[in-house]
Amino acid sequence: MSLDTFFSALRHSCARACSALVVSIVSTSASAQTLVFEIEIREHLFFPAEFEIPANQKVKLIIYNRDATPEEFESYELNREKVIVGNSQGVVFIGPLKPGEYPFFGEFNLKTALGKIIVK
Amino acid sequence: MTDAVVIILREVLEAMLLICMLMASSTAMGFRFRWMGLALLVGVFGATAYAVRLEQISMAFDGFGQEIVNSALLIAIAALLAVHNYLAVRQLFNPQYRVPYGLLLLVVVGTVSMSMTREGAEIYLYGYAYGVLAGNMAAVFSGGAIGVGIGLSLGTFFYYGLKSLPRNKRLITCCGVSLVLAAGMMGQAALYLSQADLLPSQEALWDTSNVFAESSLFGELLHAAIGYEASPSLTQVLLYLGSILASLTAMFAAWFPYRKASEPAVSEV
Repeated sequence: MSLDTFFSALRHSCARACSALVVSIVSTSASAQTLVFEIEIREHLFFPAEFEIPANQKVKLIIYNRDATPEEFESYELNREKVIVGNSQGVVFIGPLKPGEYPFFGEFNLKTALGKIIVK
Repeated sequence: MTDAVVIILREVLEAMLLICMLMASSTAMGFRFRWMGLALLVGVFGATAYAVRLEQISMAFDGFGQEIVNSALLIAIAALLAVHNYLAVRQLFNPQYRVPYGLLLLVVVGTVSMSMTREGAEIYLYGYAYGVLAGNMAAVFSGGAIGVGIGLSLGTFFYYGLKSLPRNKRLITCCGVSLVLAAGMMGQAALYLSQADLLPSQEALWDTSNVFAESSLFGELLHAAIGYEASPSLTQVLLYLGSILASLTAMFAAWFPYRKASEPAVSEV
């Protein structure tokens, strides 16, 4: 393994850990009492690709697209779709949802941009 | 390349069904296809403008500009389709009635171009970013061509199916198709408005994803044709039914003056 690839792998795993942290910090907006979750799109991947939200509750999802290319956040199970152009962000409200697994994907990168929301 | 096939096909299905239905019904109303060029032109212009301005539009209305524009387009198309049904039923019961060309033009050009604006913008964004900028033109455009090809062949099949019907049956069938297309669009508008938290969202009323997965080709086709959703919310179902009711009311209003005549007038056109 060259030094470059090692550092890139290290950077990648650090970023992964950081974004997992970001999502685990659940902020509550004072006025609407709506839970807010954040996910990131980087190199056509979702970070985190999997996270939990509470059941029977409306949730605000902020999606940051860190790539230069546009992506469409989409989910058949969540009944949601939204185009997020490169280097911008988008908000979608989801739920209230029954407990279960709700896959989502990036329509423009069907093979890599895959994720899942676990509702408990 | 398969990504491109799927993406393009998904986007063209709805507009394709709409165009074929309008082609079949406008011939039954005694019009030719001259409107098509204008509709496609306005559609391409709308899609390009929407795609180029998407970032600004998305940021408008507290970050829900996309949802508001999309739902406004869908609601406007559904309303114009109700006008279409009014005109079609009126023509059905009174062959002497000549649909004003301007009104027909408004309906066909309006619906087709608005549908193309919404779906075409996604195609433009995808093609530009992943084809042109990424230097991947061959894969994206050949995939896109296959997607369009599949859409066109399904459309041809659908159009000739409708065209083979005698005039009166064709008009009634077109009204039926327009009714469910419009209802599906209102259901989608409900989704966008719930996504922006402008309409209340509820837990899914039912889930038929085990029967017909929305992600399957058949599911996609059902979604484009009748607005099939495997797990709809109450808001969605209400708007869907509301749209059907509005369209039926328009058709009833068109029929009402001719209620004394027992049968639709027979015409040799």
